[in-house]
Amino acid sequence: MKIQKTVIITIVLIVLAGCEDFLSVSPQGELTQEAFPTTREDALQTTNAVYTTLRNWHYHSGGFPILDIMSDDAHKGSNPNDAANTVGPYDDFTHTPTQDGLDRWWNALYEGIKRANVVLERVEPIAMDQQLKSRYLAEASFLRGLYYFDLVRAWGGVPMVTSVEADFEVPRSSAGEIYDLIEQDLLFAIDNLPVKSAYGPNDLGRATKGAAQALLAKVYLFQQDFAGAEQYAMQVINSGEYGLEPDFYDANGPGGEHGIESVLEVGAVETAGTNNGGNQYANTQGVRGTPNRGWGFNRPSVDLREAFGANDPRQDATIIELGEVIDGIEILGDGTTPDEMTDENGFLQIESYNQKVWIPGTSTDTQFGHNRRIIRYADVLLMAAEALNENDKPGEALTYLNQVRERARQDNPDILPDITETNKDALRDLIIEERRVELALEGHRYWDLVRTGKAPKVLGPYGFEEGKHERLPIPQSEIDLSQGSLTQNENW
Amino acid sequence: MNKSTDQRDQWMLIKGKRARRLLVLTVFMMAGLLYSGSAFAQQEVQGTVVDAQSGETLPSVNIRVQGSDTRGTVSDLNGSFNITLQAGENVLVFSYVGYTTQEVNVEGQQELTVQLEQSVGELDELVVIGYGAVRKRDVTGAVSQVSSEEIGDYTTFNAEQSLQGKVSGVQITSTSGAPGADAAVRIRGVGTFNDSSPIYVVDGVILDDISFLNPSDIESIEVLKDASATAIYGSRGANGVILIQTRTGEGLEAGNTLVSVSVESGIQQLEQQIDLLNGRQFAIIANEIRPGSYNNVDAVPNTNWQDQIFDIAPMQNHQISVSGATENSDYYISLGYFQQSGIIDKSEYERLNLKINNNYNISDNVKLGNNITISPYRQRVAPNVTFAAYRAQPLAEPYYEDGSFGVVQNVGNPLASLEYSNNYNRGARIVGNVFGEFTIANDFLLRSSFGTDAALNRAENFTPAFTIFNPDGTESQQNNEYSDLFKGETLNYNLLWENTLNYTKDFDKHNINAVVGLTMQQIKSEILELSGQNVIRNGDDFWYIQPSYIIDEANNINTLSSVSNRVDANQYFNMMSYLGRLVYSYDDKYTATLTLRRDGSSKFSEENRWGTFPSVAFGWNLDREAFMEEITWLDNMKLRGSWGMIGNEKITYYDRFSRVDAGLLAVFGNPDATFNAATYGKSGNPDLKWETTTQTDIGLEVGMLGRRLTGEFDFYNRVTDDILIELATPGHLGNGQGQRVRYNAASVLNRGIEFRLNWEDYLGDELSYGITILGNTIHNEVQDIGGNSEVDDELIGGALANGQRVTRSVVGRPIGSFYGYKTDGIFQNQSELDSYPSMSLAGVGDLRFVDTNEDGQINGDDRTYIGSPIPDFVYGFSFDLAYKNWDMSVSFQGQYGNELFNGKNVVRPDPYNFEQHVWNRWTGEGTSNSEPRPSYGGYNFLPSDRFIQDGSYLRLRSVNLGYSLPSTLMTKVNMTRARIYVKANNLFTWTDYTGYTPEIGSGDVLSNGIDTGIYPIPRVISIGINTTF
Repeated sequence: MKIQKTVIITIVLIVLAGCEDFLSVSPQGELTQEAFPTTREDALQTTNAVYTTLRNWHYHSGGFPILDIMSDDAHKGSNPNDAANTVGPYDDFTHTPTQDGLDRWWNALYEGIKRANVVLERVEPIAMDQQLKSRYLAEASFLRGLYYFDLVRAWGGVPMVTSVEADFEVPRSSAGEIYDLIEQDLLFAIDNLPVKSAYGPNDLGRATKGAAQALLAKVYLFQQDFAGAEQYAMQVINSGEYGLEPDFYDANGPGGEHGIESVLEVGAVETAGTNNGGNQYANTQGVRGTPNRGWGFNRPSVDLREAFGANDPRQDATIIELGEVIDGIEILGDGTTPDEMTDENGFLQIESYNQKVWIPGTSTDTQFGHNRRIIRYADVLLMAAEALNENDKPGEALTYLNQVRERARQDNPDILPDITETNKDALRDLIIEERRVELALEGHRYWDLVRTGKAPKVLGPYGFEEGKHERLPIPQSEIDLSQGSLTQNENW
Repeated sequence: MNKSTDQRDQWMLIKGKRARRLLVLTVFMMAGLLYSGSAFAQQEVQGTVVDAQSGETLPSVNIRVQGSDTRGTVSDLNGSFNITLQAGENVLVFSYVGYTTQEVNVEGQQELTVQLEQSVGELDELVVIGYGAVRKRDVTGAVSQVSSEEIGDYTTFNAEQSLQGKVSGVQITSTSGAPGADAAVRIRGVGTFNDSSPIYVVDGVILDDISFLNPSDIESIEVLKDASATAIYGSRGANGVILIQTRTGEGLEAGNTLVSVSVESGIQQLEQQIDLLNGRQFAIIANEIRPGSYNNVDAVPNTNWQDQIFDIAPMQNHQISVSGATENSDYYISLGYFQQSGIIDKSEYERLNLKINNNYNISDNVKLGNNITISPYRQRVAPNVTFAAYRAQPLAEPYYEDGSFGVVQNVGNPLASLEYSNNYNRGARIVGNVFGEFTIANDFLLRSSFGTDAALNRAENFTPAFTIFNPDGTESQQNNEYSDLFKGETLNYNLLWENTLNYTKDFDKHNINAVVGLTMQQIKSEILELSGQNVIRNGDDFWYIQPSYIIDEANNINTLSSVSNRVDANQYFNMMSYLGRLVYSYDDKYTATLTLRRDGSSKFSEENRWGTFPSVAFGWNLDREAFMEEITWLDNMKLRGSWGMIGNEKITYYDRFSRVDAGLLAVFGNPDATFNAATYGKSGNPDLKWETTTQTDIGLEVGMLGRRLTGEFDFYNRVTDDILIELATPGHLGNGQGQRVRYNAASVLNRGIEFRLNWEDYLGDELSYGITILGNTIHNEVQDIGGNSEVDDELIGGALANGQRVTRSVVGRPIGSFYGYKTDGIFQNQSELDSYPSMSLAGVGDLRFVDTNEDGQINGDDRTYIGSPIPDFVYGFSFDLAYKNWDMSVSFQGQYGNELFNGKNVVRPDPYNFEQHVWNRWTGEGTSNSEPRPSYGGYNFLPSDRFIQDGSYLRLRSVNLGYSLPSTLMTKVNMTRARIYVKANNLFTWTDYTGYTPEIGSGDVLSNGIDTGIYPIPRVISIGINTTF
């Protein structure tokens, strides 16, 4: 009887077991996109996420500061053999559509765009304080504009995605259409973002009205719309929010983090790993060897050294030379890297490092704490000067140009005299030259050469071909995936 | 578990036929020793041996005199025999393959006819086919059996590796020779882009791997290959099912106890080194690449890094088991220990096995039982220094004069990597079940079984702070600023509840064997990971994450750097299944099997949750037909055919969900501080549904010449549709770098033939031998990729260390085909360079790439398919011999027609050492048309067919030589059996491949056959002893 009971109970259990709930398993410890973002706190986190792309290693031109390497300011750097075939080709323009780094940069930028689209589309319906919500939407718009600006500068027209859900096949929009979207995003940001001083100390690093205006000025400059560039650069200058750091070193160094000169800055903590709040941008370029601060890519060129005028203090603040003692630390460099060598392209290279990413210390970890300045006030002043000159206002242009030189001079009356040139073409050249030395190794030079048409002449000796190297090739992997809807740039 | 009486007697010995004869011999010898008959005069006996049923005469029957080690004879072609008996000899023992051994008292007889019964063990032997067993003659599916003896040929911690070359249609490839490393098991080709591994069913518990199991505890292995055989496992069986029965005490006579002890220990060594340049050669080449690199090439150091890292290593494998039976119960208890040190320092695997199998007959119709395995293990994993040793320049020296580690440019000093690496996995697995069987109304058997697989693994890694200095005293790149400590704990548990009702009935000529059932399985996992830096002391006594010990106050570094807690996405799902099978056979001639399984998986959304998987199969025992009786040399012949569909869902549990990527950090504020951030991760696909494999199989089984020759042939055609595949999505979707999304979007065909031929015979009365040959062909072809999903129509895989991906899977080609440039010699001179299309990077002395699209230029579009990692033919053959107390077996295994990608040779961002072939480089016009001028990397190292090598090989996989101590001696020490043996595994490999091993497996089917610096599979030579008493 006992047996029969067991059998019956078993059968009952079997029948009971047949319930469907058993087969419902939800993600563990993770939200699904249907359930997020829905609260005010979610809105904040979603907005914060758009900024995290700024520290993504892939965001920095595919991990490496390849755009400086492609300019006359820098060589690949590191040990001559390190990444010789992956990063090296950017140095002499032998990179190809399958070149390492292209797809990483492309993907990282679109990931940032998607994150912005999440805010723009999904934060909108959340019931919360309207003013705060507008700010979040404006922050996302600003960053979307920033990411598209990189895409359009690097590749020209690209697929335009403005929604979280996108089609698999999106053909390239024209560069003009992308620029229109950027303008629209930045204008919305300007209207809805607070000025820098309106943020509390814990919110520094968020997009500001001034950053949006400065970026818009730059966007116009790249389109040769000098009226627009002047208008927005002047709005930044006239806002009274910004000034120049007294010490040039602080313009990029830890002393000036979120300081008066900082217009758009990427915060980072001194911890190894992007996921922990560090930024590998500086580690990639950090001193290689002793002290071991990083990989040592983006080596300052001899040409850049020569571009600095005699005794320009900015040279010392830009380039770490071997044997130099910085913050009490002697720079010995990498034992396996020749101190001097003539590279395969015939250029003399001297082992040296980018001082603008220097963080005091001897460890690799702390090097991750460099706060990258994407736009600083000196850049805005020089943009204003350039636009004013193009708009036939050389006098005003000189005012801003000379403000930059005055700071650089560091009260030494014998160097860097005020410029008085008023011939438009000559002054343009001087402004671009000033941009070179003021903003060296900050990722501007290659763009400046291309947008002013100087690239073929200046970069020709490095391998630059006119009509080809103004743009990067669309990553081959994207063309492969596009089922024919993406076309390659000309001559690639 | 059901077994014939025949087998029960041989409980402790292994199932193979050679062993069976050994047992007969042993029993026979013992009987002889015990025998004490009265004396008779010499007597001549003659007679005929016939089949008891058909009456046909049986040739070559082994006839032995009971009580004698050496005396006996064999029946001739007509079944006749003639033997002269000495005084006291009056019992003859007749044994014959496929028949029950018979003892005949011939006392006083001069002429007799001996009738031998066909043994039950052959065709009426029950074959376990999952949720029941059927008679072998009723099996309609392709099922291969492997005896535990064959498993014993190869010493390994994991029984799956011992199947290599033993089962047709099964390809087993080591992914690494590191102790405790898994093998990639593929049954009938690669059927999906996902995990293509079969499932394992150990005593009824469904598992993903059997690394916990001591091969010595295995009674039998059955490999289910076609749809008819696997359909009962429904969605779990798409890549085949490996059924394993462990030993029990079932079948032992009440009161009997068998104790078995075996001890084995061996040494392992590297089979062969890779031929690399020596210091002088490297310096000469370096001077050609960069003139003036070395002033005096005769005075450069010469370090053979392979000598530095490889060593001879021990291996041991011991167990003791006790089994027995009482009136109403039986038991099997064993304790095993396996230990293997790696041929590279700091790699080791060690495992204990505790096994308890019990059966209790509570009453006539109730039986309870349990099968439990507990296996604690410890694994130590070395960093991949084989790749570093391969790349390290011979000019670098391992140590400076003061004994400290020398710097090794670009790759790091492999010895220092070893010295400072401490990676352990420790854990335990408990696998087992308890079950009850209730016989109802004689013909019904209700079985309920509750099983579990619980595993806890603790990973522990510690790297001390260290620095390798350059010769000038500066720090090299090989250093670790703060010590790192990582602990990761994974808890998995798998619960399986199965309820089945079996019905078996014979009416006249009708035989019905049916089963219905319901099973539920729940798989859960949890991972907890902690890491910290700057531990207060380096010793392992301090390898604990204690916040007070891992904070660097001087630098104010809070070094408890990360905590992570999550589930293992591959091990978190529920499944429910209804199953049914009907096996009907008529007159032992015709058999039909119908199977249906309906599976529901939590991995799919409600609409797509359930999948139904049917199968039908027919078997025809031709030998039972009247018209076949004339053919006397044919003993049995069966034709079978099957068709069926099986599902697959080996994907993560959350692929269908679009998840939020939380735990991101944004940094704001002055001072910098982190703030939580969360946003949309990659998109999920809610439309995912079952992947389905449709398989057709036609098979023929024959036994002839007194079953001395047996053969099995199968043709299979296997098409997998709706393959669940992760596809790269266009970057503009914003899924992020390297992210892929899963779709049901591909089809793959596998087709081939399998065969297994076995010949066994006696030569005279003291020598028996057997030969087995098996093999299978594989035609693997992708039939569709992308489907209607509008995403890519090719899969790019096979990432090398530099991220370059060298395989593509496209329609019409095998999965994971190698992709790169085709080469056509070398540019011998400038005019040749000028007249052919070439890349701007190419110079004289460089490889000439073929302009495959004939557009007059060489670029990425000229890359094409340059090889396949999937062999055309996989085979094995073995030979065994038993002479008196000696036994010997030799087995070979190999594959033919696949290519390997020598990936370790391709990735060269830095100047590394070269393989020896570089020495035959191009140095001027006409000097070489295959080996280009030397360079440290770049153009000539673009993925091309230069790196494709023939992967065909033949391996002498095992050689065994054993000696069983004479029974006279055994009786004195009260033992049943003692066998001493010497065994060699992986003794030699014939191959053209220039790597440690041509056996390059990968868990990722898109990255198969790419050698990125594998841990070599060692050669093992061991000695051991097996005793039973």
